[in-house]
Amino acid sequence: MAGFLAAHGYDPGPTQRPLTAGAISGVLAALPAVGVLWWFGSLPVEAKILSLSLAATLGLGFATMAVAGAVYGRVFGRAANDRRGGWLLGMAFGFALWSAGAVLVLPIWSGGHAPAGPAAVGVALSLLVWGGGLGLLMPSIHPYLHERLETVSTKSEVGPNAAASKTEERTRKRQPPRQ
Amino acid sequence: MRALVRFPAGAQERARSLIRRVDLSKAVVAGVAGALAMELLSIPLRLAGVAAIDLVGELGSILIPGEHAIGALGGLLAHAAVGIAWALFYAYFFWGRLKWPRVVQGLAFSALPAILAILFVYPQLKLMQAHETLARVRLTDFAHIPLGTLLSIIATHAVYGLVIGWLYRRPVGYPVGDKPAAPAAARDFERAPGHGRSRKNGFMFTTGIECSYPTIEKGRWRRDEMASALHYRNWQRDFDLCRKIGITHLRYGPPLHLTFPARGKYDWSWIDEPMAELEKYGPEPIVDLCHFGVPDWLGDLQNPELPSALSAYADAFAERYPWVRFYTPVNEMYVCSRLSALEGIWNEQRHDDHAFVTAAFHLASSSIAMTDCILKHRPDAIFINSESSDFTQPCCPDPDVQHRADMENERRFLPLDLIYAHDLGDSMKAYVREQGKTDDDLARFKQRKVPRRSILGLDYYEWNERLVDTQGRIRSLGELFGWYVIAKQYYDRYQRPLMHTETNRTGADDAPRWLWRQWHNIQLMRKSGVPLVGFTWYSLTDQIDWTVALSESLGLIFPVGLFDLNRDVRSVGLAYKQLIEMFSDVPEFRECEGLAKVMA
Repeated sequence: MAGFLAAHGYDPGPTQRPLTAGAISGVLAALPAVGVLWWFGSLPVEAKILSLSLAATLGLGFATMAVAGAVYGRVFGRAANDRRGGWLLGMAFGFALWSAGAVLVLPIWSGGHAPAGPAAVGVALSLLVWGGGLGLLMPSIHPYLHERLETVSTKSEVGPNAAASKTEERTRKRQPPRQ
Repeated sequence: MRALVRFPAGAQERARSLIRRVDLSKAVVAGVAGALAMELLSIPLRLAGVAAIDLVGELGSILIPGEHAIGALGGLLAHAAVGIAWALFYAYFFWGRLKWPRVVQGLAFSALPAILAILFVYPQLKLMQAHETLARVRLTDFAHIPLGTLLSIIATHAVYGLVIGWLYRRPVGYPVGDKPAAPAAARDFERAPGHGRSRKNGFMFTTGIECSYPTIEKGRWRRDEMASALHYRNWQRDFDLCRKIGITHLRYGPPLHLTFPARGKYDWSWIDEPMAELEKYGPEPIVDLCHFGVPDWLGDLQNPELPSALSAYADAFAERYPWVRFYTPVNEMYVCSRLSALEGIWNEQRHDDHAFVTAAFHLASSSIAMTDCILKHRPDAIFINSESSDFTQPCCPDPDVQHRADMENERRFLPLDLIYAHDLGDSMKAYVREQGKTDDDLARFKQRKVPRRSILGLDYYEWNERLVDTQGRIRSLGELFGWYVIAKQYYDRYQRPLMHTETNRTGADDAPRWLWRQWHNIQLMRKSGVPLVGFTWYSLTDQIDWTVALSESLGLIFPVGLFDLNRDVRSVGLAYKQLIEMFSDVPEFRECEGLAKVMA
């Protein structure tokens, strides 16, 4: 997975806007996830654990999902645009958020309290639904946010200077200026 | 392409790390079967009194509390869904990464869901079955899982891993005799304007659609790069992408194994619409008639019917598409012969010199016969004879090492020597005689009148320069002398107009760097007086499994395209667009003297 992230995730594509696309997709995917939380009665339980009102819990949830979506877009980069496998990456990311957030951080933060019964089912399912939705939405949303080929192709990084060795350039920068 | 040795470790690692072509249906079947196998192991364990985990029951009781048939069914479906999700995860990220038997790969993979089940899922399942909505938990809850349950989790996951490892395989390609899905129907859309066929003598800024179609697994499995890289589905979009970045010429290889289903039978439905699109809107195709494979009915390169069959195909093709002027009759004859008959990777998968010489002679004869047939329909046709530009350096003065390097440096010329009616070196003459070729065989090639409009196409990758090490092994040298030096050896030998017909590299930074460095080679070659008519970044989109020279069906993406498989541009695509914009209107490129002479 580390190799996957290094090679694919760090190369989101020169015309792409992974942070924006991820944040928008994260917020949109949160809508059905909130429905799941409501259905299983998980929202009041989470609000109680966080000692927040229902509205504040929802607000915090949407903000968190926007940030998480942006992180997803940046980390998975070009891979997040995969229409066939994106939902799987999203669900894996949702599962990781559930494991790290709901199962580890939330109990630590609240002094050992965690949702149980149907509320716990709702939390787990909502994050899987959110992740799947995020992974499904991003490949469709992202193309509308791309920079135009005509403007981005003038970037100097890909121009004729690219032929020079970057190692040599870095070495030269470290050398003291000539007298 | 090209790889006479496996790719350098760095490139391989980069390529292996990318998202995969996955066969979803195979992964779904494997996931369901794996989940069922888990259940089949779990039931007898529980009947034997072991405190084995009952995942179906646990999941079912969450859906409907208590032991209920509908709950159990729901649990079964939920477990199957989880099995599918993990199998897909396996197919995308794990499959083929380790050089282990596939059941062992599956077994190793199963450690991941097993660990997550122990740490998170099982404790959470217990929490989900609680009657209250809020509970107190400790991070060490998983440590209280009974030993029998713990062992059963490990054992059932191991069985799951074995099953998915056994079932999931060969995500790309298809059995010989089958066909891929037919190309998408043409649609009307607003096309990008392109240079296309408007500049008769302009320098050829070229890319290609990767189209290799050799067989592997002793002729049982067909590789089809056009299918794997989704070209059949996206052919119109692919041509439009070419126009968007200013490509003037496109190396395009119709799938011979599909268009030529039997002697005298041709199925042009695979390419009629794409060819019409290219004719009307460009870019100008350089049609590649035979690219590393032959139709099922012809078998392999050892078949002596190859020249007559392929020349009949070329004849039919040129008759159907009389507007096509640029041809590559047989792509990289040396590489094809070598990987099929010496290195045992494709087609006949042989490992002997006799088979290699036979394949090389058959392909060279085919190329000549095809050329003659095309000329009957199109006397002004232009032939771009693409070949890999190779060089082998001895590492030391050891006579055996020197001999091996000399042999390789002679052998690389064999097919080109034959089609260009060039004398073979003495050692190569002796070599082909040892393999049963007579002086009459050689004389037939030597008598050939090479068409005036023949262009020597030379492909170059960082693994084309090789070293014979002290043990006599051939290893990759990377870019030591560079395309200019190696290509000059070929030019000096054949004295034909030259074209750089393939190159690529991976990496968001490295690929643009490589592109520009190759371009500087082009400029230096032109300045030295060589009539150089074109340059090619190969290919338009990412390729599949070239990290293993197509030898196995793994679905690994080799990210060397101007565009990725979603058809999103890569940085090298932007670099090539910038290069074309910068040079296409420079007078010496707008009216390329070397090409003008060939076109005249």
